[in-house]
Amino acid sequence: MERTVTVEPEAGLHARPASKLVQTANRFDADVSIGRAADGDDGLVRADSMLSVSGLNVEHGESVRVVAEGPDAEAALDAVCDLLTSPVEEDADGKETETDGDDTEDAS
Amino acid sequence: MRTLDGVGSTPRSGVGTVRWYRPDADLTLPDRPDPESVDVDAELERYETARDAVRSALRDARDRTAERVGEEEAAVFEAHEGFLDDPTIIEDVETAIRDGTPAAHAVADRFDEAVAQFEGMEGRMAERADDLRDVRDRLLRALLDADGGGPAATDLAALPAGTVLLAERLTPSDTAALDPDAIAGIATVEGGRTSHAAIIARSLAIPAVVGVGEALESIADGETVLVDGDAGTLVVDPDDERRAAAEGTGPAVISERVATADGRPVEVAANVGGESELDPAAERGADGIGLFRTEFLFIDREAPPTEAEQYETITAALSAFPEDRVVVRTLDIGGDKPVPYLDLSDEPNPFLGRRGVRLSLDEHADLFETQLRALLRAAATEHGDDLAVMFPLVTRVEEVERAVETVESVAADLADEGVDHAVPDLGAMVETPAAAFVADALADRLDFLSVGTNDLAQYVMAADRGNDAVAEYHDPLHPAVLRALDRTTAAVEETDAWVGMCGEMAGDPALTELLVGLGFDELSMSAVTVPDVKRRIREVDADAAASLAIDALACETRGEVLDVLGLDDREG
Repeated sequence: MERTVTVEPEAGLHARPASKLVQTANRFDADVSIGRAADGDDGLVRADSMLSVSGLNVEHGESVRVVAEGPDAEAALDAVCDLLTSPVEEDADGKETETDGDDTEDAS
Repeated sequence: MRTLDGVGSTPRSGVGTVRWYRPDADLTLPDRPDPESVDVDAELERYETARDAVRSALRDARDRTAERVGEEEAAVFEAHEGFLDDPTIIEDVETAIRDGTPAAHAVADRFDEAVAQFEGMEGRMAERADDLRDVRDRLLRALLDADGGGPAATDLAALPAGTVLLAERLTPSDTAALDPDAIAGIATVEGGRTSHAAIIARSLAIPAVVGVGEALESIADGETVLVDGDAGTLVVDPDDERRAAAEGTGPAVISERVATADGRPVEVAANVGGESELDPAAERGADGIGLFRTEFLFIDREAPPTEAEQYETITAALSAFPEDRVVVRTLDIGGDKPVPYLDLSDEPNPFLGRRGVRLSLDEHADLFETQLRALLRAAATEHGDDLAVMFPLVTRVEEVERAVETVESVAADLADEGVDHAVPDLGAMVETPAAAFVADALADRLDFLSVGTNDLAQYVMAADRGNDAVAEYHDPLHPAVLRALDRTTAAVEETDAWVGMCGEMAGDPALTELLVGLGFDELSMSAVTVPDVKRRIREVDADAAASLAIDALACETRGEVLDVLGLDDREG
């Protein structure tokens, strides 16, 4: 299954949002991959790799496609897309959480 | 025994064992062995062990940074951990090891490839190259150190007691990470007395000699060195006599307040730039804090501190000096202290531009109000009646009037909200010729003035304090600067206000008599010099000091001033 969302964090997929994304993808058994929506299947990279995610150089406002496959694919997709669509990324202790999933378009 | 010369930065001495800090060191790998001779299982295990060690170091660094600086700044270590445990990197490194590459070479190869991918790109992508290099070096240090021959990772906060730290240069955050109880001294190839790192070392009372030059490289790890911050020298393999002199405790601390020999009280306070400097200041007998810089709350982070965070810090300072005055300077940014998230405009001449109270009354009024709310709330706490607040870089009477109005309106807001608060004593810093010339008008509207001599000398003498080429002009003993000081103290004498000094000049015992003679009620300095200045005040006769000041003010040149003070020519 997959979804296409617009990246909300101001920092794009850099610095903290990138670390959080990688940490989140690592929490699930599902294989999660991510890429620019416009780049199709060739643009997908592993979401659990800091190197790959940073290498995408995705900025705030870009449209990205997230693909998840495996037993907990749906939960993984929810968690990853929540992060991508929250302007302020979730803190470890839940402070400053501002979840906003309205930008999600289900595409699967 | 051999001696190297530098510039004494903290006037203390210490002896210890040399440890070089080389964050940029090239980690040289041994030659690649024949793949057949590589023990694959052992190398795989070494790679995993090294990753465990680095992960734990990164988490320590993360927690420490979160605690001392802030969550935002700590996030970089999470990114580092992401690269450390990147599954694609791990797969590639393990494959290379299985093909007969030792772990260290496999790590270096894979990370260099990743660095090359990001290198030469702009902005955030270039920062990723730095992150990758940092993780690579940490891993290599862990791997090479396990071989017994390589340099160990240097955790600045956990150096063994009696370490003399040598470095090409130290950043302010390097210096702030040091444990003052463990470090016997520091010495650097580069740097000057007034660099921010040197000022932090002085605040932590760490013996320091800076600007030693390339000769410092002649000292090796493990050698015994005496760092003499008074003389500005390093003595390698000092003899027993030198060692004993250095190891003798510093001058005895005088914890009570002092007065001149004929009974005129003079307060001796400490300049403090962060919470970690509070206890050292109290231990050295400071009669309170004459300058609490608040910039450390704002720099090296991505967003300004909250009101709650500032309130915590201010009340911590008040608790450290329950019986004494704590003078907090409101945010003094701009000039040479840029803050990235504030988007300060690039100015051709920042020292003559938007800085100090100019920003607080205008584009950063919001930060100013938040800071004042924290201060007024802190003033209503148990030890808050000794809180005083001063505004930096004042030039015009209108600025003081507007700042006082802002304090009143913040007080009114807090009253409306039913929040406990009190209005502390208010003062202005005298750092500009303008402020010195209108000191009478400022003092009429305020409770106190405090002279910042580093900036005052810079502006009176038109000489950038950071520019070595005009160092001889940046001279607090020039008659023009002394007359500006006199103008300020004389103006305050006619009023109910008090006047202090919180520049570097205040901490020089050779100038104490002159400053007492000029009429300063309070001298505030790096804590390390408090005992010397207190001792000197007790020796001074106030009347004799006043005549000395009159003689100094009559001088026309620096040379004449030095003659009057009985000093040889000295660094400014």
